[in-house]
Amino acid sequence: MSSPVTINGFVVIPILYSRPSSEPSTSKKVQPTNHYIYARAHVGPKNAAQSTWPNGRTLFLVNVPPDATERELMSLFKSYGTIEKIVFDLDGEKEEEEDAEQSDEDEEMEDENDGLVDGQHAPANDEDDDEDEDGGHRKKRRKVTKPQPPKVVPLPSKTRRRIRKTGQTAHVIFLDASSLERTLSSAPQKSRPWPISDEEPRGLAHYAAMYDSARPPLDAIREHADTYMQLFDFEAAQAKRKSKFRKGEAIVDEDGFTLVTRGGAYGQTLGGGVTVATKMFQETGETSERNAGRQKKKKEKTNFYAFQKAEKQRNDLIELKRRWEQDKAKVEKLKASRHFKPY
Amino acid sequence: MAQSLKRKRTDGAPSRKVRRSSPVDESDAISEVEDDNTEEKDLQSHEEEWGGIGDGNAEGTSEKIKGTSQTKWRRHSSYEGRFGIIQIEFLQASAARSLLKKGVSVPYSTPMPNEDTNWKVAFEKPSDISLVGSWANKTHVKGQDGCKYGVDLAVEMPANLFQEKDYLNGRFFHKRSFYLAALAAAIVSDKGIASTFSTSFSSLGDDPRLTKLVLEPCADGSAHDFTKLNAQICIIPTLPSNSPITIHRLSPSHLNFRGTTEDKGDSDEKKASPLYNTAVLTALTPRSHLLSTHALQQNVPALDDAVALLRVWANQRGYGDGQKMTVRGFEGKGPWWTSLLQYLIQGEEPSGLGSKKSKRKPVGRGLSSYQLFRAALDFLSSHDFKDFPVFVKTKDGSHRYAPGEYQTHHDVVFVDSSSTVNLLANVPIGVLKLLQRDARKTLDLLNLSSVGDPFPEVFLKDHRDLQSRFDAVIRVDLSAVQARKLGPHSVVEAGTAANAMMTMMSSLLSHGLGNRVQAHAILHPSPSLRPLSQAHPTSPHIIHIGLLYDARHAFRQVDHGPAADESDSSVVERFLDFWGEKAELRRFKDGSIVQSVVWDIKTVDEKAHIPVMIVRHILHRHFGLDDTSVTTWQTHFDSLLKLPESISRYYVGSGLSMGFKGAITAFDDLVKGIKALDEALPLTLSSASAISDCLRYTSVFSPVPLPTSLAAALPPNARYTHPIDIVVEFEKSSRWPDELRAIQKVKLAFFERIAAALMSASSGLKVSVVVEDTQNDIQDISCLEIVTAEGWVFRARIWHDREATLLDRIISGKGSLPHVTVKPKDHRKGKEYHDAVQAREVYTRRFIHAPRHHRAIAKLCHNFPAFSGTVRLVKRWFASHWLLHGHVSDEAVELLCARFFVVPGWDENADQENNPHLKNPTVPGSKERGFAAVMQFLKDWKWEEGMFVPIYDTSMSSGPAPTANAADPSSSTAGAWRLSTKIDEQGTIWTKNGPDFIVARRVQALAQATWKYLQDMETSGRVVVQSMFDHPTNDYNLVLALNRRSLTRYHHNVKADPSSLPNQSKHQNEAGDVLVRPGFDPAMAYFKDLQRVYADTFRVFYDPFGGERIGAVWDPSLKLPRPFRVLGGFSSAPASTDVASSSKGNTKSSSTKKGRDLVTLNEAAVVVELERMGAGLLSGITIHV
Repeated sequence: MSSPVTINGFVVIPILYSRPSSEPSTSKKVQPTNHYIYARAHVGPKNAAQSTWPNGRTLFLVNVPPDATERELMSLFKSYGTIEKIVFDLDGEKEEEEDAEQSDEDEEMEDENDGLVDGQHAPANDEDDDEDEDGGHRKKRRKVTKPQPPKVVPLPSKTRRRIRKTGQTAHVIFLDASSLERTLSSAPQKSRPWPISDEEPRGLAHYAAMYDSARPPLDAIREHADTYMQLFDFEAAQAKRKSKFRKGEAIVDEDGFTLVTRGGAYGQTLGGGVTVATKMFQETGETSERNAGRQKKKKEKTNFYAFQKAEKQRNDLIELKRRWEQDKAKVEKLKASRHFKPY
Repeated sequence: MAQSLKRKRTDGAPSRKVRRSSPVDESDAISEVEDDNTEEKDLQSHEEEWGGIGDGNAEGTSEKIKGTSQTKWRRHSSYEGRFGIIQIEFLQASAARSLLKKGVSVPYSTPMPNEDTNWKVAFEKPSDISLVGSWANKTHVKGQDGCKYGVDLAVEMPANLFQEKDYLNGRFFHKRSFYLAALAAAIVSDKGIASTFSTSFSSLGDDPRLTKLVLEPCADGSAHDFTKLNAQICIIPTLPSNSPITIHRLSPSHLNFRGTTEDKGDSDEKKASPLYNTAVLTALTPRSHLLSTHALQQNVPALDDAVALLRVWANQRGYGDGQKMTVRGFEGKGPWWTSLLQYLIQGEEPSGLGSKKSKRKPVGRGLSSYQLFRAALDFLSSHDFKDFPVFVKTKDGSHRYAPGEYQTHHDVVFVDSSSTVNLLANVPIGVLKLLQRDARKTLDLLNLSSVGDPFPEVFLKDHRDLQSRFDAVIRVDLSAVQARKLGPHSVVEAGTAANAMMTMMSSLLSHGLGNRVQAHAILHPSPSLRPLSQAHPTSPHIIHIGLLYDARHAFRQVDHGPAADESDSSVVERFLDFWGEKAELRRFKDGSIVQSVVWDIKTVDEKAHIPVMIVRHILHRHFGLDDTSVTTWQTHFDSLLKLPESISRYYVGSGLSMGFKGAITAFDDLVKGIKALDEALPLTLSSASAISDCLRYTSVFSPVPLPTSLAAALPPNARYTHPIDIVVEFEKSSRWPDELRAIQKVKLAFFERIAAALMSASSGLKVSVVVEDTQNDIQDISCLEIVTAEGWVFRARIWHDREATLLDRIISGKGSLPHVTVKPKDHRKGKEYHDAVQAREVYTRRFIHAPRHHRAIAKLCHNFPAFSGTVRLVKRWFASHWLLHGHVSDEAVELLCARFFVVPGWDENADQENNPHLKNPTVPGSKERGFAAVMQFLKDWKWEEGMFVPIYDTSMSSGPAPTANAADPSSSTAGAWRLSTKIDEQGTIWTKNGPDFIVARRVQALAQATWKYLQDMETSGRVVVQSMFDHPTNDYNLVLALNRRSLTRYHHNVKADPSSLPNQSKHQNEAGDVLVRPGFDPAMAYFKDLQRVYADTFRVFYDPFGGERIGAVWDPSLKLPRPFRVLGGFSSAPASTDVASSSKGNTKSSSTKKGRDLVTLNEAAVVVELERMGAGLLSGITIHV
């Protein structure tokens, strides 16, 4: 048989698991063990602009070993061609997203093709937003990169070996399409050994390294937090500028009090800060009738002075008489109408 | 009948026919008994038939005996009419010998008759035979452990066998014994009866004076076989009312045996023989009890049922006969239960004793059985038996003996309606207190209408298990007993030496323990039948002493005796004599000099042992029982919660402040330290709350710090310090950003500030900021790790309540401007949503529930001394069965245990000195009992029904209870247990992450095994507590063995091997560069990784306390081939169902295609992955197929 084994459209790539030499292996099982990775060319949605992965040169992998690192995968596939990038699907997107966003901002959306528009936001943006963004960009362009966003100093790197859920998927992006072809067509019948990289610690050392890297030095933390907050403030300022209600800043005095003024169309002060509307209003969007009535309570007492009482009594009596007369008239009228019955 | 007898006599040679006829007659009698056993008229006919048998047998016996040994026999046979009375007289000693030849020994009681006595024992036709007791009154109930119904047959010995002075020196008992033995011999020698019945002796309360003859049917299927009735016939010799014995000499104050007492010295002291007298009088009562009960039955329609309820209730609690441990003093107390109801209904015979107010109103006759039962329980639970004697209303309204005499000579007085015997004469007061507790417990249960149907709990459940019933169970082997002061008087008084010894033990124990215990009891199986050849009952060799602590006094360290200047020297002498070398003269702070007993303890744990220490001391001093024959389980349980000696000695030597007290002090200091930083921080600390079990007395190990000096000395796999979690809250501020990610970063900045400030404020403090590695960046992920100078490790987190609002906004899909309609898209899909749900869950648990839970549990620990120990033991149990942390959370265990301590409203007067709930008998007083109770509960808890634990204040305003997230999707996948509390109605806060149904079932199975083992421990006396904490690994598919050297907390292991904890002293010079990672537990991290990575592949189990193995069970459904899916969630291999070389063309055909697309779990590859991920940790993997 010449062609690789396929399953459900996936090419099965057998991987030979060799036991780590240092490991005291169990007595029973010495024969080599195969692990299977399933590979397929990535097929993106039709709209190429929304695709995260470049069509034609992206390899989609299923059942990557849970402790695989980029380096390990790279050395597994490097014989087929140069690899541009490896992304594990279940994670990592966050950092990538941030990077992407930053680069977006930096490059002012230079290329739509490669920009890794993050999966969550992309579908959320519909035309309106897009336009908005476009507008923002246009403005930015006009101002010619005046507000340079601060760079976030990342925390010292975590351990590079990240153990993910078993059966995970990954995308391998080759530099050119031919490597992908080669990979899929000539997947080996004989299993290839799983490359174990010693750069990233395993086992006990991995946990120790993880423990240590979870406790970064204090100045690194400070730097990270400070720069992040700078970026946050910057972005908040950006967002404010972009927002519809661009009327100015909320005024915060040095004691931390915000000067509250009744602001824009939705009971919102400027810049999305403090609201003046009632909670009820915020939640339902309407003021309650009852509440309004209660507020207009009469301050004057009506039943306090003797003259008030007397007046009230008299008024009541007059009213009663008036009613009586009215009722009488009504009855008369009714009677009259009854008399008028023709039959 | 009579004719057949006549024929026998005329024929001379006893024919077979006659022989056969006798058993027929007897079984006729019995069948009549079965048919119509209340008809007293029938008794007359029974009597006649029985008379006939007695006659015939006696004759046969005497003839045979005559043939063998004629010398010592004198036979006076006078024939009177048709029914000849044959009177045989013996000198008692020789009589015994002659009967012994027939395999029947005479159960003579002490004082034994000797050769010199010259009065005679004799047998003569019974003057009356009547069916008495519960069978006759139809008030019998089924006994425990398959005990048979007793059909009591009162055989009245003729009056002319007795003389006036027979009450003296046990003469009456000798005559009774011989009478019984002669009867037994006759029955045995009659082949017809002997083949149908197995005959044996049985002595009530192991007292040979109360021996009866028991006939059990052999299941031979013959016409007379009444095995199906599950009954046995008990023949009890009784005394006729017209006997010449002078009854008035048998009042409680009379001494009726002479010569045996030490004459000198004691003569001035008034000696009496109340128990002896009672034993004599007991021979008078069966008939009168029968009649009085019958009379009562006529008046009270519900009496039968009420008696049945009461006796079943009592039997289930061990107040009756049974093969298992029963409470001593309550064997054969059938008449008492009836008399109790009689007393309640008919009222009291005025005695002029006790105070007036003790007068009770009799209950109505028309009450239902349940009402009568409750009235009885009410009486039992509230009556003070010690101070108020009970006299049941008599028929003629007069006392036979002066009521005062009873009170001076008996502990407990309950005189029956015939005013003859004290039915509770041999019942120790401690046992009645136990009965009182049990009655109250049941009443409380009946009053709690909310619980549902109390019937099974009250009547169906067996409550005799010692471990969950008593706070301390002490197993005593009596084979080496040597009572220090057991005079012949008390031996004769009690019937046997063993009885006397146990009576003494009981009273000494109650004296020694005083108010430390609410009740104590001696328990042993009720006496069994013994063969006729055995004259005396074998008293039990193994007894159990059960103690029920009074938590307020039980653990007092000092007992005060008389003052040094006590004028009465005898008081001091008695005190010294009682306590022996333990007593010493001490001067106390208030200046008094008092004789006292001080129980010295080394650790706090030992304080809980004081009551047991006292029991041991008493047993040792007064009964010569040393530690080998006295067994308790406490120390074995203690050792489970301690570090191995090789490690703990470093701590003991270091002089550090350790334990929970030390931890709490360190926590307070830390909080003070942070508060003092006021200037350096942008916001001031408003509160700091602890959420760690180290600070609420419930961590398995007593927390210890790890100073650097000690770390070097300890072996590297014993350098673990557990981080103590705390939550800090700062004053409110509007400067926090209104965005979740930014909040996390601000927290980081905050931590950095605190860390820097703390470190500069006090040297020796090591503070670092921990950023957890997680994908979820809107969750609270960072904390501050503070290592104090003494080596305590704290982990602080910041509680910022704005997070909740922001998270809720994401979850509910509303923006910050709710009235602005959000574009209708499914907000539930994105990662953000799932992150938010997860973060919200963590937030609710960590910041809302954990501090409250902590406070409630800490309060419980203060109020119930045994609570902390119980939780620690149960946690240890869960851990050693590889369930804690991985599947069952700490808090869930705490709630589970709390259920046995709290009742609704327990905390209303918790702060008062005399909290009634402390006296609640259901509350365990020791951790062993708590543990047993939890196991008993877990083994048949229906967890589907959930459980409510009222640990929170009833008064607490539920206020803005954390709103249950109705939209929470993960609540559907919650664990199997539901432990709801007032603030968590759903009850899933602490059980959300397990146990799931599979694990819950496993918990149940493990609890069952443990419970069984606990019970085995009682019966067999094996004391291997460890094996309950020994986890069987056969059920696992994979067992990963871990390398002991690389575990950081191996010293916590249940079975830590000291040799694997190498002594570090040789490498002291390297002390400088010892790297200590506080709280670093790679094995746990590995386990957590496995749990996460292979969540759908297998289930992993691990002991968090230094376990050296990890167990895993494959998901069985993965073994079957299944279609390939991209997100299958497990490591798969193509199923090799079809041949790989199948041609390409075939792939089109769907059947082959299907076959080819199937995949199965790639087990081997997973195993290699496990090995790879655990490099350096694992030492091997065992695969069970």
